[in-house]
Amino acid sequence: MPERLVELDLEEQGEVVVARVTGELDIAEAGQTGDAILAGVGPSALGLVVDFTGLGFIDSSGIAMLFRLVRQLSARRQVVRVAVPPGGAVARVLEIVEFERAAGVDPDVATALAAVRS
Amino acid sequence: MRRSPGFRLGAGIPRSNPTGAVQGLPELFDLRVKVRSLAYLFAAGALLAGITLVLPHSREVDDTAVLLLACAALLVSILLLLLGEQARGWRLHAFLAAGTLMISLVNLAVGESLLYPLLYSWAVLYAFYFFPMRAALAHLAFIGVAYAVVLVIQDGPLVRWPLAVGTPAVAGLLMSRLLGILRLQAANAEERAGDLRQSESRMRLLLDSAPDAFLAMDARTGAVTAWNTAAERLFGWTAGEAIGAPLRELIFPEEGRAAHDERRRNLLGQGQAPIVLRLELDLRHKDGTVFPAEETLHGLTVGDDIVMSAFVRDLTERRRRQQEREALLTEQAARAEAERVAEMVSGMQLVVDAALAHRTTHAILPDLVSRVRGVLGADGASIYLAEDERLTLRAASGSSNGRESEGLDFGEGFAGRVAAAREPLLSPVGQLADHGSPPANPDADSLVGVPLLAGDTVTGVLVVFADAPRRFTADDLALLRLAADRVALGIDRSRVYEREHRIAETLQRSLLPDRLPRLPGLTVAARYLPAAAEAEVGGDWYDVIPLPGGRVGLVMGDVAGKGLAAASMVGRLRSALRAYALEGHDPPTVLDQLNRLLWTEAESTEMATLVYAIVDPADASIRWVNAGHMPPLLVAEGEAPRFLGGPRAVPLGVLPFPGFEEVSSAVRPGTSVVLYTDGLIERAGVVIDEGMSLLARAATDVGTDPEILCEHLLASLVPEGGAADDVALLALRNEPMADRFATEFESEPESLAAMRGLLRRWLRYAEAGEEETAEIVTACGEAATNAVEHSGAGAPFEVAGALRGRRVNLTVRDRGEWRSARRGDQGRGLSLMHALMDTVEVAPGPDGTRVRMQRELREGGSPSA
Repeated sequence: MPERLVELDLEEQGEVVVARVTGELDIAEAGQTGDAILAGVGPSALGLVVDFTGLGFIDSSGIAMLFRLVRQLSARRQVVRVAVPPGGAVARVLEIVEFERAAGVDPDVATALAAVRS
Repeated sequence: MRRSPGFRLGAGIPRSNPTGAVQGLPELFDLRVKVRSLAYLFAAGALLAGITLVLPHSREVDDTAVLLLACAALLVSILLLLLGEQARGWRLHAFLAAGTLMISLVNLAVGESLLYPLLYSWAVLYAFYFFPMRAALAHLAFIGVAYAVVLVIQDGPLVRWPLAVGTPAVAGLLMSRLLGILRLQAANAEERAGDLRQSESRMRLLLDSAPDAFLAMDARTGAVTAWNTAAERLFGWTAGEAIGAPLRELIFPEEGRAAHDERRRNLLGQGQAPIVLRLELDLRHKDGTVFPAEETLHGLTVGDDIVMSAFVRDLTERRRRQQEREALLTEQAARAEAERVAEMVSGMQLVVDAALAHRTTHAILPDLVSRVRGVLGADGASIYLAEDERLTLRAASGSSNGRESEGLDFGEGFAGRVAAAREPLLSPVGQLADHGSPPANPDADSLVGVPLLAGDTVTGVLVVFADAPRRFTADDLALLRLAADRVALGIDRSRVYEREHRIAETLQRSLLPDRLPRLPGLTVAARYLPAAAEAEVGGDWYDVIPLPGGRVGLVMGDVAGKGLAAASMVGRLRSALRAYALEGHDPPTVLDQLNRLLWTEAESTEMATLVYAIVDPADASIRWVNAGHMPPLLVAEGEAPRFLGGPRAVPLGVLPFPGFEEVSSAVRPGTSVVLYTDGLIERAGVVIDEGMSLLARAATDVGTDPEILCEHLLASLVPEGGAADDVALLALRNEPMADRFATEFESEPESLAAMRGLLRRWLRYAEAGEEETAEIVTACGEAATNAVEHSGAGAPFEVAGALRGRRVNLTVRDRGEWRSARRGDQGRGLSLMHALMDTVEVAPGPDGTRVRMQRELREGGSPSA
C-alpha cells in the first residue's frame, strides 16, 4: 500500500518522457500531478507516455488532467499516449469517456513508447 | 448597820418606829452578822447600864436592879456570840423580844428618864433592819405594849405615851431607811463590780482569742500594759515577759525605733485628740527575725493616762500571697504575650500560606486581605494593586467594604500617598484632615498603610484600619510590614504563575485537538484530565491524524517534566509528528525523525515516551511503534482485553539510534484500541503491572463504544478528586459494517480517498465483485467530488449506503449548489455516473444537492481488495 495517494515518477527514455503515476488519482492530486508532468516534458521531447499501469483509481479529475496534457502538448506538436492495462477500472473509465478519440491508449509502456516514436 | 444598840436599861426609851425594814434583800446579811449585831445590842445596853451606875444619877434609880439587868444583858450578849449561827429563826426573835423586856425593865428601874425610852429605838432599828416587814411590825407592837406597861406601872402622864411610842418608831424607821439606802448602794456597787469583772474577763478573752496581736503601752513610760495571746505567738514574748517592759526594745528593730519614738512624742503632744494610724512596718520577733507587719495604732487619753494600743498583723503571708499573685500576673502576662506572638506567627503563616498558594492573583487576594486583617485584629483591610502609577482596589475585608475609592492615582488619598512615598504611613484620622486626605474611610479611627514592593517597584498598597477606640501602634505597623512583604511576595508569585499558567494553558490547548476529526468507519473518543492539584500544565498529549486512504494515525505521548518547557516540547513534537505522518512515513520512520529531533536538541535532557499507531480500516489492521510508553489496549466484544505488546523501545531522546521496530495486529470491526498515559494507572504504592491489570479489568465487559469506554475507565481508575498526574486517554473503534451506513466527510479533496476506502469496505461487506466495486466507487467518487467542490465552506457532505438484497443504493448529499454540465469535466463526471450505475438521480434544492444512485450487484462475492 502506498504511503501517499499518488506517486509520480518522470523518466526520459530516448526523447520520450515516461510519467509513471501510481496510487489513486482524484481531484486532490490531479491538478498538481498534471502540472508536474507538464513541467517534466521539455520542448525538445518527442512526446509523453503516461504510465497508468500502476494506477488503482481515476476519476473525472484525472481524465480532465489527461485532456489538459493532450491539449497543451498537442499544441507543441508533441505526442501523448497512455499506457493502461485493459480490463481494469482505469481502462473502463477511459473507455467510458472515449479517451481514445483524443489520444492513443496502449496496453503497456513499451507499446506506447513505440507508438510515440513511430 | 455596824453598831447595834446596847443594853436596854430602865424605861424612858422612846417608842420604836413602825416602818423601815429593807425588803427584798433578806439574804444579803448572813446569820452571823444578824446574831453578832444582836449581841452588840445587848452589850451596848449593858454598857449603858454600867455607865448609868458609875456616873452620878437620880436617887430613885434602883441600882441593884440596874446592875442585875446590866449583867443579864452582858450574859445574853456573850451567849449570842457563843451560840453564833445556832441562834437562827425564832430564837433570834426571842432574843430581840427578851431585849425589849430588858429595856422595859431598865426603864422601870430608872424611872422617869427621857433617855431610856429611846433605847427602844435600837430594838426597832434592829427589827426593821434585819427582819421582814411583818416580823418588824410585830416587834414594834410588842415594844409599844411593853413600854405602855412600863408607863402604866410608873403611873406617868398619858400624854407622854404617843411620844414614848412614836419617838423610837420614827427614829428607828428613819435610821433603818437611811441604812437601807446605803445598803442598796453598796449592793449595786457590788453588782457593778461583778459586772465589770465579768466584762473585763470577757474582753480579755476576746483579746486573747483575737487572731491579731493586741498590745497596749503607756505612752508616758513606754511600758507595755497589755499583751494578748496572739501577741505572745507573734512576738515570742509571753505576757509575763512583755508587760511592764519597754515596747521600744521589745518589738522594734533598731532602725524602726526612731519612728516609734516620733509617734510616741506626737501622741503625747496631741493631748486629748484620739488618733488612729494604720502603718506597715517591720517588727522584730524575740528570736531576732524581722517580719513585715501591719499595725493599727490607737492613741487615746484615759484619765491622765495616755495609752497607745495597737493591733498587729503579720504580713509575711500576705506579702507572700501578693508576691505569688504578682508572679502569677507576670506569668499570665508573659503567657498572654507568648500566645499573642504565637497567634501572630501562625497568623503570619496563614498569610504566607495564602501568598504561596499556587493560584491566580484574583483567587488569592480576598484570602490574603482577610488573613492580614485577622493577624492585626483590624476592623478592615484592603489591597490596592498598582498599574501605571494608578491604584485599583482589588480586595477588601471587614467593615471597609464600599468605603474606599475604587481607583486612586499615586499621591492621591491615603493609599496613593503611601504608594508615592513608598513608605509606610500611620495615621490617626485626626491627622488625615491635616493632610487634606479625601473622604475615604471617614469612619476609620486609625489607619495604617504599607506599600507592597517587588524589588523597587510598588506593586500595590495594603491598607488596614480600625474603628475607635483602637489605635494602631508602631508594633502594629511593624507587623503589617511583615505581612505586606508576604502579600507582595504572594502577588508577585501569583502574577508570574498566572502568566506562565496562561501561556502554558494556551499552549496545551493548542496542543490537543480541539475536536477530533471525522473518520469514516471509525469512531474515536478522547479525554484529557489535568492533574488534581492545580498543577502546571503537563507534558501529556494525544493526536488523531487522518491519513490518506482513510487510514488514521493515533498518537499518545508524554514529555518528561511539566510547565512551559514541557508544553513547548510537546508543541514541537506534535508539529513534527504531524508533518512526518502526513508525508506518508511509516511509524518507525516517523519515530526515528522525532528521536533525531530530540537528540539533536541543545537541551538533550528532554525525553518523551510515545506510541504512534496507524489504523487502516480498509484491511482492519493496526501497526505501531512503542517508544517506552504504556502498551495500547485492545478491547474486543466478548473477549478479554489484550495489551498490544511487542518490542518496547527506549523513549525518544535517549539513544541516537534506538532502532524502532514496527509491530502490527488486526483491529477487526467492532474492536477498540485504547491509548493512554501512565497518569491513568499510576497510583502511589501500586506497581505498574498491577495498574495495568486494573486497567484491563476495568475495560472488561463494558463494550467497545469509545465514549463509554473513556468514561468508564476514568470513573473506575481516577480517584475521587482527580489523579496525581495528568491523564490522557484515547479510544478508537473500527466500526463494524452493516447493510446501512451514513458517514459525513469534510468538504475537502482529501476526504475523497477516505470516502472511497469506506465504500470499498462496505462493498466488500456487500460481497460485491472487484469490477463492480471499482465502478461503484468511481461513480460515487464523482458525486462526492462534486459535493466537495460545491459544498459551502466547512459544511460537510454525507455519503449514505443501503443494501437491499443485491441492490446497492447510494446517496451523496451536500449543502452546495449542483452545477449541471456547464463545463466538460462535470459533464464527464455525470456521464461517468450514468455509465457506471443503473440509475442516477440528481435532486438540486435550495439547501443543497442530493444525488441518488442504484446498481444491482451481479458478480459473486470477492474477498480480495
